[in-house]
Amino acid sequence: MDPIVSIRNVTKDYTLGKTVVSALRGVNLEVHKGDFISIAGPSGSGKTTLLNLIGCVDTATGGLVQVVGQSTGQLTERQLTDLRLHAIGFIFQSFNLVSVLSVFQNVEFPLLLQRKWTAAERRKRVDELLTQVGLQSHAKHRPNELSGGQRQRVAIARALVTQPQLVLADEPTANLDSVTGQNIIDLMKDLNKQQGTTFIFSTHDPKVMSHANAVVRIEDGQIKDRISAAEATLAVAAGH
Amino acid sequence: MGQLRVLWQIALRNLFASKINVIIGFIILGGTFLVVLGGSMLDSMDAAMSRSIIGSVAGHIQVYSSQSKEALALFGNMGGEAEISALDDFSKVKKTLETVPNVERVVPMGINAALVQSGNTIDLTLGELRGVLNHLRDEGESPERREKAESLKAHVRQQVEVLKADIAKARLISKASAEDAEDAAVIERVSSEAFWKEFETRPFDQMEYLENRLAPMVSDADLLYLRYAGTDLKAFQKNFDRMRIVDGAPVPDGERGFLFAKLFYEETLKLKSARRLDKIKEARDIKSKRIATDDELKRWVKENSTQTREFLLQLDGIKTRELVARLQKHLGSKETELSALLGSFFTTTDENFDARYAFFYEQVAPLLQLYRVRVGDTLSIQAFTKTGYMQSVNLKVYGTFMFEGLEKSDMAGGLNLMDLVSFRELYGYLTAEKKAEIAELKKKSGSREIAREGAEDALFGEDAKVVEASATPGLIDDSASFGDTAQALRNKELASRVYSQDEIDQGVVLSAAVMLKDPTRIQETIAEIHAAAERDKVPLKAVSWQEASGLIGQFVLMAKLILYFAVFVIFIVALVIINNAMMMATLRRVHEIGTMRAIGAQRAFVLSLVLMETVVLGLLFGGLGMLFGSGLVGWLHSVGIPAGNDALLFFFSGPRLFPSLTVGNLVAAFVIVMLVSAISTLYPALIATRVSPLRAMQAEE
Ligand SMILES: Nc1ncnc2c1ncn2[C@@H]1O[C@H](COP(=O)(O)OP(=O)(O)OP(=O)(O)O)[C@@H](O)[C@H]1O
Ligand SMILES: [Mg+2]
Repeated sequence: MDPIVSIRNVTKDYTLGKTVVSALRGVNLEVHKGDFISIAGPSGSGKTTLLNLIGCVDTATGGLVQVVGQSTGQLTERQLTDLRLHAIGFIFQSFNLVSVLSVFQNVEFPLLLQRKWTAAERRKRVDELLTQVGLQSHAKHRPNELSGGQRQRVAIARALVTQPQLVLADEPTANLDSVTGQNIIDLMKDLNKQQGTTFIFSTHDPKVMSHANAVVRIEDGQIKDRISAAEATLAVAAGH
Repeated sequence: MGQLRVLWQIALRNLFASKINVIIGFIILGGTFLVVLGGSMLDSMDAAMSRSIIGSVAGHIQVYSSQSKEALALFGNMGGEAEISALDDFSKVKKTLETVPNVERVVPMGINAALVQSGNTIDLTLGELRGVLNHLRDEGESPERREKAESLKAHVRQQVEVLKADIAKARLISKASAEDAEDAAVIERVSSEAFWKEFETRPFDQMEYLENRLAPMVSDADLLYLRYAGTDLKAFQKNFDRMRIVDGAPVPDGERGFLFAKLFYEETLKLKSARRLDKIKEARDIKSKRIATDDELKRWVKENSTQTREFLLQLDGIKTRELVARLQKHLGSKETELSALLGSFFTTTDENFDARYAFFYEQVAPLLQLYRVRVGDTLSIQAFTKTGYMQSVNLKVYGTFMFEGLEKSDMAGGLNLMDLVSFRELYGYLTAEKKAEIAELKKKSGSREIAREGAEDALFGEDAKVVEASATPGLIDDSASFGDTAQALRNKELASRVYSQDEIDQGVVLSAAVMLKDPTRIQETIAEIHAAAERDKVPLKAVSWQEASGLIGQFVLMAKLILYFAVFVIFIVALVIINNAMMMATLRRVHEIGTMRAIGAQRAFVLSLVLMETVVLGLLFGGLGMLFGSGLVGWLHSVGIPAGNDALLFFFSGPRLFPSLTVGNLVAAFVIVMLVSAISTLYPALIATRVSPLRAMQAEE
């Protein structure tokens, strides 16, 4: 089976004036359908950079990035946007809900962008998702009337409403307390199990890592190894 | 559809989410309000002024000779009259113009200026006295005539006393010059009993001395500069609906006559003290000024209380006593000196002004001659003909008129009217009968060169010889005074002569006003007139009323330009402010926009998002602005805007402007506001589309 994400020899340089920062230096990675993968590494190691390349919000300096079978380097800005809209769901560290829209409207938003749903279909789909994240009673609320965990659940609903093949989450629990963070990861894991949606998320938190099928450890812009969650937990405990 | 709805909803909800939007909203509201109000005011002003100018002298189009050196300026130029060549035969011009289908009517015209000797008070009194003396001589004694003569003599003697007092006063102030000494000698002589005893036996000799020596000493005689339009008065009155007779009556059809412009009549011919009273009253009543606080009013009051000499000169003995009695009673004063009484009477305050104003017109004015030229008088107008000769015409003053809406304009209110035949005579164009008269005289006595000064004598004196002024054959000089009977008879005959329409039409004019059937087609009709003129070989140039009215026409345009410029500046400022505000709003939202882009919104969506917000702002606040604007215009339409000063009176074409609103005003306001908002949002919108989806990943500032 073809991988959903395939990364070969990818480099990413940031040019800051005269100095060039190499955020990624020859990364290789394959992610398959149904994976629940955590990307771990110290601060500045390149986790966010890697997720941005996979999420098609940025393009690589060198190497090949293939997402759902498409080489992102060959796509136009417009096509990349379309790819994001139809194939990828995003969960952000700071939730990123549209503050003037209600919970319902936030979740409905990607469906509106897709322009292929009737109002009834949209309503059905949004209701389903809100039920899944346990917020059906909050549909009419505004984001600022919700707690952090609730907001992130809305964000998860929004990311999954279009039934994307891949969901990306850059430190989804960083702004939440550990219990709430656990709940959010549990929710993601449930959705992964039930619907087979592929998740890639980055985190510093070993407890969060522990839910992953696999942990990809990254250091200094390079993949160090790909280990199991149990190994990762041990490694963190050992202080590596 | 759903997308539009969400855009609309985001825009609507963002509206009150930030203060910036409310600020922008109020700018849009104010802008729309101003455009609606200003637009409607401007249009109403333009309509009012067009109506006044078209309906007073200009017509829709003016035609004049294409050979003219300068452009036609109906209301005059800064440097005097424009140099316009004559159109030799109006009837031909009329015929040509009437072939143009859109031409409804044509009114002949000629504008010129002349000098009028208004005559001083002593002149007038002496003139009256001479008239009575002539009657006594020609028609014999009668008790009434004798009494009239005695009263006039007493009046002259009183005037002499006033002058004597003046000279005595002047002596006190400065040393007498040789000239003063001469004046004093004249006064001495005419105030002596001996002079008046001699008057009984040789009245005409003594009259001559008075007329030649005494009258010139009084300096209140001015030479009036008189602008007039000669026209077919009947056609003029019929076609110019803004013209209204104020005093007197219109000149009878076909007759010669003169009509004063009311403003000119008031300003230059009214007794100065009375005129100042009128002006003080107007300033108090209309402009709510107060004598106590306004310097100009104070000055007028001062001038009125010190400049009373005119009264002393005008009143004869009986009337002086009467006025003294009336003033004593009104003022509760025991003062017997008239000048002192007048001085305290005219020292008006805000408290007593209205009472004194009323008293003046009820009790004082009837004793006076309020105007130097009265309706019914004959006016002697002197003008330089085209070739430089002084030509004089005596015309009966039938009344005064004004152009409604332009009554306060010095330029339009200074244009008097006379019949076309008299205009032609003053212009130096000979009427058929004058030509015949000269031909007759020539035949009688054989052509002989005579000096210009002698021409008048030669024409009308007992021993009429031959007339042919040396420089311009056929032109005569009427400047010598009209004294003798033959001439008076001729004048009488001329004054009552009725001219036929052909006589009025066939002759020289300077321009013609053209009234159109369809006034919206001015430019096309001008082209048609030019074509017709070329075809008929008439040297015609046609111009629109705006062009023909010269400075006044330009005032309208200028006012418009100034207002448009102001609106333009306001909107440039609004543009900059909105642009900056929108810029700030956009920068604040990069995180949100980045998120939308990351989720999959295309740039076009972001663009419509920002534009939609502007549209919502524009619709809401622009709509409110229009509502308030129309509300105010509606209210102003019912109460009218008072013209606070003379400039506004002119622009409003009347004491009040009643602005009205057209759909055009609203549409213009809407389009302008939407355009300005759209333009000012373009750059921020562009910036918004450039926001990278990466911004969604970065922490919110
Ligand atoms: N926009 C950028 N411009 C320049 N350098 C950048 C930019 N983004 C990241 N970098 C650099 O690239 C490297 C990798 O950064 P990245 O954000 O991917 O690290 P990270 O693993 O996500 O760290 P953290 O755990 O702190 O989020 C860092 O050295 C960083 O300074
Ligand atoms: Mg990061």
